[in-house]
Amino acid sequence: MDPALRRRFERRFGERLTGPVRQRHDETELRIGAGDASEVIRALHDEPEFGFTFLADLAGVDTGTTMQVVYHFWGASTPDWLRLIVDGLPRDDPRVPSVTALWKGAEWMEREAYDMFGITFEGNRDLRRIYMPPDYQSFPLRKDFFLADDAARSPGAGVRHMEQTHAPRNATPAATIRRTKA
Amino acid sequence: MTAPTRPRGHASTDDPRVMLDEQIGVFEPIPPYPPRTEREAEFYTLGDGEMFINIGPQHPSTHGVLRIVLKIDGENVVDLDPVLGYLHRGVEKLCENADYHQAICYLDPLEYVSSLFCEWPGVMAFEKLLDVQVPRRAEYIRVLSSELNRVASHALFMGWMALDLGGLTPILWSFIERDEIVEMLASLTGQRMLFNYFRIGGVNGDLNHEFMSRLGDWMSRATSQIESNISLLNENEIFVRRMRGLGTMDTETALRMCMSGPNLRATGVPFDLRRAHPYSVFPELEFDIPTRTEGDCLARYLVRLEEIKQSLRIIDQCLHNMPDGPVMAKLPRLLRPRPGRAYAGIEGPRGQYAAYVVSDGTDQPFRMRIHDPSYLHLQSVGLLMPGHLIADAMAVMASLDPIMGGVDK
Repeated sequence: MDPALRRRFERRFGERLTGPVRQRHDETELRIGAGDASEVIRALHDEPEFGFTFLADLAGVDTGTTMQVVYHFWGASTPDWLRLIVDGLPRDDPRVPSVTALWKGAEWMEREAYDMFGITFEGNRDLRRIYMPPDYQSFPLRKDFFLADDAARSPGAGVRHMEQTHAPRNATPAATIRRTKA
Repeated sequence: MTAPTRPRGHASTDDPRVMLDEQIGVFEPIPPYPPRTEREAEFYTLGDGEMFINIGPQHPSTHGVLRIVLKIDGENVVDLDPVLGYLHRGVEKLCENADYHQAICYLDPLEYVSSLFCEWPGVMAFEKLLDVQVPRRAEYIRVLSSELNRVASHALFMGWMALDLGGLTPILWSFIERDEIVEMLASLTGQRMLFNYFRIGGVNGDLNHEFMSRLGDWMSRATSQIESNISLLNENEIFVRRMRGLGTMDTETALRMCMSGPNLRATGVPFDLRRAHPYSVFPELEFDIPTRTEGDCLARYLVRLEEIKQSLRIIDQCLHNMPDGPVMAKLPRLLRPRPGRAYAGIEGPRGQYAAYVVSDGTDQPFRMRIHDPSYLHLQSVGLLMPGHLIADAMAVMASLDPIMGGVDK
């Protein structure tokens, strides 16, 4: 844990942060809205005070109520992992600015998040499905996509078409979708 | 009896009934649908004298089930479009529907050449969520077994590299090395390839007599055996000349492409998570971080060779400093971590393996994100291949050492 890093973030990004800077084990966590994302990430990358030049990971998260894009950075200025959560994206049309201008390698990670969650990265020049077939319609890692419970079916019965999402019958969506305050 | 009908509504290529009557199986390079992005439109438009060639999805040089559409002009690669997803199993979704213990065994087949490195970040992230202190002996056993796995992985890389350049002998030699290590790990873990050995809070079993005797036996001749394998290639002029100056990447680009591991170190950055972000017992161990400055195929190959030697050093230290004690922390059988988030990254033979886990307080992870370096290295193939001959393009790909199991998750 690096308490000095937290103070630096609070001083630099103060009003932009949408939640407190949290620290646990070797991780520091920032939370911002989609509007500030490109500016904050550019500052983290460019300013020598931070110098987070290594993008360790880019992940989409569906909390059941909103969508998030979670970035992890490594920087020489701190022993911590930096986690940046771009929070509060609407589930029907999540949009965030792309970071491919800073890290061209993020292109495929953004494609994956698009493929799995339907998050649109504005500025990514090649945002198409990467794992699923091109005519696929659903977003498999969303919490309203349910796995077909056909593990016990006989092999002869064939594979169930996986495109639809299978909510348990007679259940209200509120009871079936897993939610958390992530 | 009625004839099978096509499903109503949307037809997808993953429906076996569609496959039967539409004869999918011949891979046309140009997709039968309008381009979805600007880049796709640009790629699938042929310039003067250019043509497409389709490699894969079943092709020995793609190291798995990968399809690459090459745009070529004569013998030169102009551009390429890798098509993924043939091995996609949805491991992340499966992990989210399994409990914390079950999730570990889904991580193994991601990287079937060095499985322990896929288990480790997942287990480490779970331990962070649960605030578990792993016993020191367990940490040493983890380091020992994973470094053995690193040697096995790099040994196989040497063989593959030569195989993709047209030499058959080295892969036979490197499999001798790999097989000895794999057998050794099998006596420790009970499995040859997908070990499922790490547990939340420790490892599955303590070191046993058979493993120790095999390891001692191997260690006594490992150095000379590996040296002789290396001399087979390093002194081969054809091999060295072909690799030198091929697929060169500079530091700036490597960082922009999010590369890590030996591929990044071959461009001159001494970035190794074992030192840059120390975990486990690596701060107590002595080893060097080999780097090269050329950033070409030969540099990537030589960095990996040096890493084998460093791994042997680490294994030696582990054996000498192995502490006594338990190999598992005391934990309840049903794990329900408090709601929270954890990220763990480790240095594997290909780069940074990482896991990001979100817990919602139940016994199943709410979100499990798996980060695999092969995915990013395969992406940079698009940057390195253009301008090379088709034969060299495969060598470039082999030198980046992507594993399709990790790429396709």
